[in-house]
Amino acid sequence: MKHQIRLNVNGAYYDLLVDPRKTLLEVIRNDIGLIGTKMGCNCGECGACTVIMDGRAVNACLILAVQANDKKILTIEGLASGGKLDPLQEAFIDYGALQCGYCTPGMIMSAKALLYKKSSPDRGEIQESIAGNLCRCTGYISVIEAIEAVIKAEKRP
Amino acid sequence: MEGREFTVVGKKLPRIDALAKVTGEGRFISDIQLPGMLYGKVLRSPLAHAKILDLDISNAEKLPGVKAVVTAKDSPRKTFCIYPNLANNLILQDTKVRYVGDQVAAVAAIDENIAEEALDLIKVEYQELPAVFDPEEAIKSSAPRIHEEENNVAAYIKRQFGNIEDGFARSDVIVEGRFKSPSVAHCCMEPRGCVASFDLSGKLTIWSTTQTPHSLRQELAEVLDIPINRVRVMSAYVGGAFGSRMFMDPIDAIASLLSRKSGKPVRIVNTREEEFISSRTRYPMIIELKTGAKKNGKCVVRQAKVITDNGAYNNLGSSVTGNACSKLCQLYSVPNIKFDGFVVYTNNVYGGACRGYGNPQITFAMETQMDEIAVKLGMDPAEIRLINANRPNTITVSGCEITSCGLTECIEETIDRSGWKMKKSKKRKNCGIGMAVVMHGGSGGKFYWGDNCHISSAIVKMNNDGTVDVLTGSKEIGQGSDTVLAQIAAEELGVLLEDINILSGDTDATPPCGGAWGSRQTFTAGIAVKSAAADVRRQLLSIATDMLEARIDDLEAKNGMISIKDYPEKAVPISTVASVSYTHLGTPIIGKSINNDPWSSTPDPVTGFGNVSSAYSFGVQVAEVEVDTDTGIVRPVKITCAYDLGRAINPLLAKGQVVGGTLSMGLGYALTENLVRKKGKVQNISFLDYKILTALDICDIECVFVETNDGRGPFGAKGIGEPAMIPTAAAISNAIYDAIGVRVKELPITPERILKALKEKS
Repeated sequence: MKHQIRLNVNGAYYDLLVDPRKTLLEVIRNDIGLIGTKMGCNCGECGACTVIMDGRAVNACLILAVQANDKKILTIEGLASGGKLDPLQEAFIDYGALQCGYCTPGMIMSAKALLYKKSSPDRGEIQESIAGNLCRCTGYISVIEAIEAVIKAEKRP
Repeated sequence: MEGREFTVVGKKLPRIDALAKVTGEGRFISDIQLPGMLYGKVLRSPLAHAKILDLDISNAEKLPGVKAVVTAKDSPRKTFCIYPNLANNLILQDTKVRYVGDQVAAVAAIDENIAEEALDLIKVEYQELPAVFDPEEAIKSSAPRIHEEENNVAAYIKRQFGNIEDGFARSDVIVEGRFKSPSVAHCCMEPRGCVASFDLSGKLTIWSTTQTPHSLRQELAEVLDIPINRVRVMSAYVGGAFGSRMFMDPIDAIASLLSRKSGKPVRIVNTREEEFISSRTRYPMIIELKTGAKKNGKCVVRQAKVITDNGAYNNLGSSVTGNACSKLCQLYSVPNIKFDGFVVYTNNVYGGACRGYGNPQITFAMETQMDEIAVKLGMDPAEIRLINANRPNTITVSGCEITSCGLTECIEETIDRSGWKMKKSKKRKNCGIGMAVVMHGGSGGKFYWGDNCHISSAIVKMNNDGTVDVLTGSKEIGQGSDTVLAQIAAEELGVLLEDINILSGDTDATPPCGGAWGSRQTFTAGIAVKSAAADVRRQLLSIATDMLEARIDDLEAKNGMISIKDYPEKAVPISTVASVSYTHLGTPIIGKSINNDPWSSTPDPVTGFGNVSSAYSFGVQVAEVEVDTDTGIVRPVKITCAYDLGRAINPLLAKGQVVGGTLSMGLGYALTENLVRKKGKVQNISFLDYKILTALDICDIECVFVETNDGRGPFGAKGIGEPAMIPTAAAISNAIYDAIGVRVKELPITPERILKALKEKS
């Protein structure tokens, strides 16, 4: 039996009829068509599918779509506004905080959730916040530096 | 060129694909969605070694929603391997399976759940055979045979240069040891996948997470028995490769078969579990190494016996072992060498290229022994490396022509920057510092195979508004090759980076290229792009001679303008010249270039002599660690790196290669990563059990470049991707010895191994 749900994704409302087995990740990617959220493991271990749900970073592959009913979801596509990139996106570009780019949307969303929670986290807290986002390319240093730069409102390396 | 001021090269410019990747707009393979697309799943063998007695797909075919089921019968049953003479693998097996995960059938259905369900309905009757997993067991004459061959030795590589008996007789100190390296997974964040689509005319279009699109095109044409021009490999972002996506994976061909049979596009994307079970791995090696040196520290002889676990089928085991041999002969230019390499079949998954290509394995052994020799001679480990360091413009005993070489400068840089001397003299309890160096091909390498993998070519088109299209068969896999190649084109043409539009990897639109492997794209594809751009620049200047009333030799192109040298006011915009050429003269400007890497050659099959690479990159890492002797836990504190990469075309991206290579793959190889198998079945099939490093596990890192301006490289550049991770394990191991006086010669250096070594010492 399918379930009727309503999701607020990046400010837009979606009324969907979903299979109860479907994850939030599948619905975001396949039903809503926002493919910026990636699937790396489908079991909550890599963080590539991180989105922000009601202000908290979650692995979209571990949330059933029905659990997200009436919740407010922010994905990577909702970060830039009015043609202007989020400072985190700008800093990731400037600091070379990405290579293959597959983990990048999830990484940025985890950092965003951290900055919602704390205005000036220290390096340890930054590392903690992205510890669930695996990256095989960068060695994380440039990612941490990019997040720190946003915190310090610095612009260029 | 040396004295020239660059406007685009050498600048820390952001990646040209960064915007697409930070906004989620970038399309990866798993984002490709085609109308009517089906989802494919592969039935894999649960047994490590078995005969297939019967295979019944009828129930699966009847399941509603299933659109095609394929077995070997649907394929031309052609064996494949990038070296045709070694080919013994099939895209689908029908007589025998040889590892847990070997593919026997596949299904395409309207959704993944139905495809999964259909796999359960396929009946396979196996007759289990005795299996062998340890290459030292597999090499014995009593071992079960994995292929219809005399024994399980897939290849034997024998090399001898100089005279080792004489070398050992003249040595004042000799060290011997046995080193073991594990099977390691690449752990690309995007699982391997493809979308294959046959049209009614019989043309296949495929999006694949490949790093070698032009090779994949040839391989698919071969195994599907269709002409090469009936295959188009498309371009899309690839979420990591690191060697694992070098050449065809069976799923590329299986998805194609399913598409041909169903008449629909078919997508297959590995689950993470399949990535761990059936994707390529780094070849594990057992290395018995013996090294002799003189009292003054000069290394004079090396002898190695290497056993490589080839896994169940031939892929790159011979070539990777050949590269390990090559580096044994090259590093420190030792005059007397003997190498016996046995590449042995086992019932483990077959390996593949993995960042470093045999060099991390042999460097771990060579650089550990270098430290042991220093200890025996009472020398500083940095000093002994300075004494032995390769020098520019020298030839190794194996025929490698080392042109540019900044190894000495790299060692000196790391000594200074790490505070080496102070830290060696004032020791803190359980804290240590260790050094290791690397020499690696900076232009790809010819270790084993034929020549078609080594070419790169490029086409550069100037549009009538002065913007530029660069077409290259190279592949962007995250390393930044699109950005670097665009920078090279912009610099050569005298235009801005944003004037360059680059298309890479689409095999219908781009000229042939060996692809992304062997740290070759900056050098080999870079030379092709630079020459094609130079062709365009010459044509532009030639047209401008009339416009500026000047001789071609007196003109230069820079910042979008063509001007008379020393008279910048006499100038015409490149866009005007392009427009005149295109519109008025009717001659659009197109440049092309083929770089067949003429300076290197495949080693002589008998003697092994040959210059395997056109350029060599060098580097040094100094690692500092703290060891907890109660728990055995090693905490890396800092790694100081210096690399000779010729010239950093983009220092931001080059640093990204070194930092990422060191902290992710290097440290992981040293301390945590190991595929654990039980009767051939991988036990750690998730990121919880297979430990790659997180943001909490890394350490400080400092990275400096020594720019030797290589005479052959584009603007002096050499490759940096692989050298980044190669010396880390040895540097960490040497630092551990400095800290607690024990050497662990088996990777990864786990707490258990540290505690065992401490116990044996006491």
